[in-house]
Amino acid sequence: MTAGPGTGIGRRPMPVVLRRRMRRVRGMIAELGVGIGWRPEIAGFVAELPGLGFTEVIAESVHPDRPWPGLLELRDRGVAVVPHGVRLSLGGAEPVDPARVAHLAGCAEALGAPLVSEHIAFVRAGGLEAGHLLPVPRTREALDALTANIRRTTAELPVPLAVEPIAALFDWPDAEYDEADFLTELLDRTGVLLLLDVANVYANARNRGADPTALLDRLPLERIAYVHLAGGSEHDGFYHDTHTDPLPAGVLALTAELCARRRPPGLLLERDGRYPPAAELRAELDALAATAGLPAIT
Amino acid sequence: MTAPGAGGLAAAQEALVRALVAGGPLPPGFDPVAVGAAERALLGKRAGEVGRAWPELARAYGDGWRDAFAGWARGRPPGGARRDGWGFARAHAATLPPAARRELAVHEACWAHAAAPTAGAEPRPRRLALRRLPGGVVVRVPGRVWVVARRTG
Repeated sequence: MTAGPGTGIGRRPMPVVLRRRMRRVRGMIAELGVGIGWRPEIAGFVAELPGLGFTEVIAESVHPDRPWPGLLELRDRGVAVVPHGVRLSLGGAEPVDPARVAHLAGCAEALGAPLVSEHIAFVRAGGLEAGHLLPVPRTREALDALTANIRRTTAELPVPLAVEPIAALFDWPDAEYDEADFLTELLDRTGVLLLLDVANVYANARNRGADPTALLDRLPLERIAYVHLAGGSEHDGFYHDTHTDPLPAGVLALTAELCARRRPPGLLLERDGRYPPAAELRAELDALAATAGLPAIT
Repeated sequence: MTAPGAGGLAAAQEALVRALVAGGPLPPGFDPVAVGAAERALLGKRAGEVGRAWPELARAYGDGWRDAFAGWARGRPPGGARRDGWGFARAHAATLPPAARRELAVHEACWAHAAAPTAGAEPRPRRLALRRLPGGVVVRVPGRVWVVARRTG
């Protein structure tokens, strides 16, 4: 990180607990606990979770000048709020858009975030929006492009960045690395943290007929800032990581495998639609906490 | 060496995006079944986003919304939920029920879309506008919009 915790942070006094949290995260990875992604549709549910450790908000949905009051209330309660970008296109061949990087940095400052996260993916090319996260080829050229874009981004961020490998239904041909080597090399080159989505690991392994724990055994688990979990469903002959279905037992089982190797500092449930009754979300959060050996947050 | 050389990544990524959202040919080496599943998943995701931004439009199609939207959107690059819904609604305006037609008229009174979609471009809000509806008009003034109808749709 070339920038310290930003000139912008000085403008807005932050609760002591958050300043302490940010100081900790620069030395080591902060303990975040169990959380759920904040979405306007479930803002009330999230706000009422008594033990909520942290939450995450889609960065592109935040106005840094006027964030949702509900998020500021959580911040002021000492709940870490992590801006999660989905459209930066770190894996694109072209340089990241400086305005998008500035927006992500602005979100981190406005929300007093201990870190921000984005994806190892590209979302546009040649002036066309894909409308989704697309995988990058596992080649040296793509690794160079990702490295350059991550460096451009972290140079402007007031806090650390964690990058998330995505779920993809297809692979590029002519890979020069396997997934573990590609990720490890990227983390080594850039020094950023890993946001491991256990549901993505599960989905990719299931769709390719591979063993998901084999990837866990080869990733630098000590670089994980936090993990994602989400539900999905099978259709079209593929398992889809939909974020709109219940959490499958296989994702929880893989989370248990991860925790047995090294418990991540944070575990976050992502739900992006077809919201179930609050009791069902609470039960998923309880199962998640129990799997990690952490106290229930509900 | 499999690396296509300088500039190869940009061209390869563009070709893949074209195949997924603009009806382009699938670049060699990809699994057509897996990319086809990704294309359908993308269309389904777009249909959901457009349905949330255009609830009356989606309601007009009921359970058939996903398929109807996917049939129209295949090969058309995503322009964002507001623009995609606008494009679909205009293409089907003649057959829409009154509530969905009113949704389209209110949208057009409030938002101005660029003639050609630019990647990620959002429509510009209109301050003043007047739009005809069958049996009424939509009036837009700064901060407000009224539907004035002789008979409710």
